[in-house]
Amino acid sequence: MIKFLIKGILRDKTRSLLPIIVVSLGVFLTVFMTAWITGVFGDMIDLSARYTTGHVKIMTRSYAENKNQLPNDLALLEVEELLKTLNNEYAELEWVKRINFGGLLDVPDENGETRAQGPAAGKAIDMLSPDSKELERMNILKSIVKGRVPNKQGEAIISDNFAEKFNVNVGDELTVFGSTMYGSMMFKTFIVSGTISFGNAFLDRGAIIIDISDAQMALDMQDAASELLGYFKTGAYDDAKADTLKSTFNKKYSLIEDEFSPQMFKLRDQDGLAQYLDMADSMAGVMVFFWIIAMSIVLWNTGLLGGLRRYSEYGVRLALGEEKGHIFKTIIYEALIIGFLGSVLGTLIGLGASYYLQEVGLDFSSITKNVTMMLPQVYRAAITPQLFYIGFLPGLVAMTLGNALAGYAIYKRKTATLFKELEV
Amino acid sequence: MDIIKIENLVKNFPVGKGFFTALNDVNLNFGKGEFAGFVGPSGSGKTTLLNIIGSLDTPSEGRAIVMDKSVSELTHKQSAKLRNEHIGFIFQTYNLLPVYNVYENVEFSLLLQKMSGSERKKAVMQALEWVGLTDKIKSKPNMLSGGECQRVAIARSMVKKPQIVLADEPTANLDSKNSHHILQTMKKLNEELNVTFLFATHDEKVMKYLNRIVTLEDGKVLSDKQNNLKL
Ligand SMILES: Nc1ncnc2c1ncn2[C@@H]1O[C@H](COP(=O)(O)OP(=O)(O)OP(=O)(O)O)[C@@H](O)[C@H]1O
Ligand SMILES: [Mg+2]
Repeated sequence: MIKFLIKGILRDKTRSLLPIIVVSLGVFLTVFMTAWITGVFGDMIDLSARYTTGHVKIMTRSYAENKNQLPNDLALLEVEELLKTLNNEYAELEWVKRINFGGLLDVPDENGETRAQGPAAGKAIDMLSPDSKELERMNILKSIVKGRVPNKQGEAIISDNFAEKFNVNVGDELTVFGSTMYGSMMFKTFIVSGTISFGNAFLDRGAIIIDISDAQMALDMQDAASELLGYFKTGAYDDAKADTLKSTFNKKYSLIEDEFSPQMFKLRDQDGLAQYLDMADSMAGVMVFFWIIAMSIVLWNTGLLGGLRRYSEYGVRLALGEEKGHIFKTIIYEALIIGFLGSVLGTLIGLGASYYLQEVGLDFSSITKNVTMMLPQVYRAAITPQLFYIGFLPGLVAMTLGNALAGYAIYKRKTATLFKELEV
Repeated sequence: MDIIKIENLVKNFPVGKGFFTALNDVNLNFGKGEFAGFVGPSGSGKTTLLNIIGSLDTPSEGRAIVMDKSVSELTHKQSAKLRNEHIGFIFQTYNLLPVYNVYENVEFSLLLQKMSGSERKKAVMQALEWVGLTDKIKSKPNMLSGGECQRVAIARSMVKKPQIVLADEPTANLDSKNSHHILQTMKKLNEELNVTFLFATHDEKVMKYLNRIVTLEDGKVLSDKQNNLKL
């Protein structure tokens, strides 16, 4: 019987073509949009991880509470010792120190008088150790506009915006005013080795990047750091793992009574990222839900039309002694077969399109340039295992549901009425 | 032993708020192997009566007993089984399934039964031999002439070796040559296999073949006699 049905489906294009197109289109869109949303949110998360949050981050308890003020007086101490422990106990992550500081950038003229001045957000990262991955992580090499990355102490990169605005050139001197960890006045002069543009306003607003050793010296933070960031060596954020890490670490090292004791945060805990992650999930869910309903309605109607067209076939089959319940069952079987074909097709096309957008991506940098949120420049789709079923199952369900609704009209009629209507 | 017994049969169809009586107190018996037909003007109830005998419809009053089963007491499962195993239908418009070829059309009712592939093949080929279409088994209905289509329909109704074949205006769409051809085929099957054939028809050509003619008018039996004009 199944063979008989498959023959019918393959030979009768009007029976199969439209539903297959509808199903595969819906499945395609579900798969593709899911890949896209997952990819875009994943990229946003990844960007935060690279620049600010790490996969996990360690700060002192009180630094964490006031971290918007960049309170380096509350920074982590005895950092080298702590790093050693971390590298031993949590070897699946790579650990790096960072210092964030605020200050005033002062550009002197040839007489040493102030020519221009502006507030700046400073970041100190390890740029000079030969095995440091920070330059790559923050995509600094590719973001350099003029000059080069510092290759010795006393050099700095500044944002290209700032350089343009105050007419600072590569090789110029520039002084950073601020306060040390202990609250005393600090100023240090750097040579501008290059200018940088990350391509979005959040990162490019009056920024200066210096080497961590310079910052430690200038800010009186020997063996101290604002924060330690941990990155999974696999490269991918794993929330469950981060969660265990966090709780074991905090249980062992974080003391409620000691406000300077270290405390670990996972990516999800920071900067409202949990919301983004959840939003990505629920958006995919809501979308799939609406697709199932919309697809079911369309397929219900195509099922009804197909059924009308085949009324005389059903009539003959009744006369030949097929039970109407069995006819209904074959309608469902046909729907399953067509739904299966459409879903496979849609999933394949969806995966293909997602793969393309994963590899190539869409460049939105001209649009996001002025957005003061940390947004990626190139948006990519992401292929995840769920793509293999997230469209496939709804496609099958929608087709079956749609045809069950259409076929039910036939099922509930009395054989005689039906046969009369069938105009055999 | 009568294979079909119709006793005080009334069939009412709801029309608006009232009823339309399509069959009114019909009493008829048919024995095994009869070659009989219902004639009468349009709307006299011929098709309605065939549908009830074929258990596609049920009486409003009275009884229709087909192969010792009262049609109105069958569940729709049971009536489907009765049709599938013992009753063949032939329609004016052939009603072959358009996407299937000749062989598959004839095979269909056997797919509903539990029958092995080789048995099925034998039965289908034999049925096609009866109607002389073994050379067209791969053809689709739209490639066949009207006469050929009706012969496929006869093979389809005969393939399960039924007790009763009900033919509603089987020649209405055929020219006289084809009409005679299929009538001869049916007559031959009736004689060789002792299958009961019941026709509903206006066609003089058909009447010439019938052994017994039942005339209906306004849902009543006007006359019921052996056919003297028979060929
Ligand atoms: N489902 C129904 N509802 C209402 N009236 C019906 C229904 N089916 C049949 N009738 C009526 O019953 C009468 C008998 O119909 P039937 O089809 O049996 O006639 P017939 O003798 O086969 O006519 P024809 O020679 O035109 O085929 C007709 O008047 C028809 O309109
Ligand atoms: Mg009729």
